Amino acid sequence: MDFPSRVYYGYRRALKALGLFFAIAGPGIIVMVADNDAGGITTYTTTGAQTGLHLLWFLILLGPVAYFVQEMTVRLGAVTKRGHAEAIFDSFGAFWGWFSLLDLVVTDWLTMITEFIGMTAALSIFHVPAWVTVLIAWAIMGAMITSGRYWTWEKAALVFCVINLIYVPAAFMIHPTVHEVLYNSLVPHFPPGGLTNDLFFLLMANIGTTIAPWMLFFQQSSVVDKGMQEKDIAFGKLDTAIGALLTVVVAMVLIVVTGKLLYGVQVDDAAAAAVKLMPISRYIGTFVAVGLFDAGLLGAICISLASSWAFGEVFGWAHSLNNNVREAPWFYAYYAFDLLLAGTVVLIPGAPLVLITLFVQVIATTLLPAALVFLILLLNDEKTMGPYKNTLFENAANIGITVLIIVLSTAYGVTTLFPNLLK
Amino acid sequence: MKLLAAIWNDLATRVRAVNEKYREPRIPMTPMVRMSLIGLRVYLFTLVGLMLFKFVMLAR
Repeated sequence: MDFPSRVYYGYRRALKALGLFFAIAGPGIIVMVADNDAGGITTYTTTGAQTGLHLLWFLILLGPVAYFVQEMTVRLGAVTKRGHAEAIFDSFGAFWGWFSLLDLVVTDWLTMITEFIGMTAALSIFHVPAWVTVLIAWAIMGAMITSGRYWTWEKAALVFCVINLIYVPAAFMIHPTVHEVLYNSLVPHFPPGGLTNDLFFLLMANIGTTIAPWMLFFQQSSVVDKGMQEKDIAFGKLDTAIGALLTVVVAMVLIVVTGKLLYGVQVDDAAAAAVKLMPISRYIGTFVAVGLFDAGLLGAICISLASSWAFGEVFGWAHSLNNNVREAPWFYAYYAFDLLLAGTVVLIPGAPLVLITLFVQVIATTLLPAALVFLILLLNDEKTMGPYKNTLFENAANIGITVLIIVLSTAYGVTTLFPNLLK
Repeated sequence: MKLLAAIWNDLATRVRAVNEKYREPRIPMTPMVRMSLIGLRVYLFTLVGLMLFKFVMLAR
């Protein structure tokens, strides 16, 4: 084959691979970007306001952590063709199955409330009443899911993923120096004052928002619903890696924005950060508010689906987005119930919303080790996974991550009982 | 009331069916699996207890 023919052949092959990737990509990018949900955005804005750019390196470390954990769900889903809830019931029996499902339902419901809190707070900046915001969210989410096609839902979700990148221009508008971003990204260190109880809580919240139990359930069910096969695993991994990169980029730019403009300012949540940014730059404040609404919406879309899929798998209901409402009534009924309940709680006057927001990340972090242990055990079951079981390196990475999370969760538990331990 | 009772009964039947279907764990109970599950029980009882304690204290 002569040189021009080889170039042309290579070009055609690359084009075909790219087309195949775009057909397979979706679950990884969506789950990772949705990971930066309203709670996540609040965590990043408070992290920036409290610690400046000093914890950028920590966010970079969380990227590979999220990738290693999530890519296991791609393999598990593509090989077993079963969602995560069904896999746990089947492999570990009814006790651990119910535990996982209950864990998922509780954390999902609490997280859904925080998504609605985020959305209503974001649009309240533009004087939109909370009930109107809730109605808008219900309408968008209802329209997306009732299309009766997974493909349509996925493409709509990807549009919201692109909107989530609105924070990137905001970070460029404040012109951070390359040196300070690189130094704080590459040199691990704590902010002035060292490791305090508050800083420890912040680190825990950041871990909690980077990997959450619902993400495992969501991505595996999504991979199954999409119909991914073993041959698609490589592209599924790439999809997850790109998603992990995006989630870290969004987290970092948000920390840069609040770390540069609001460092030392008391910021309780992302909406408060947007309000405080408005006098400094109307564009940046608006970007943060719009991004917060989008993050809450994307989070709510994915979280409610994770629970609906899980219930469908366990009870044997039809549970695919390719089914219409008549074909899968219980799947859609649970989805609607989840949305209505979470949206309504936000509208109840005097509901302890701050307390719920505070605890949802921490509870998710505390319950995460259970989900990770199940995942690692499943990925080491040779009978099920065959050649796709965890390699030595994957086991080393994932067991290391799980042990680290267990140590941090335990340490957090101890410090809640003895608050002055680290002061 | 009858409708609620019917829904409840249907749910209970479904839960029993799920319990029956997944009565036995299918994963081979190797020492690693057994040890992980015991460790998990200890961890969860301890941590969830601590979280609930904190939540109740703050909520009061």
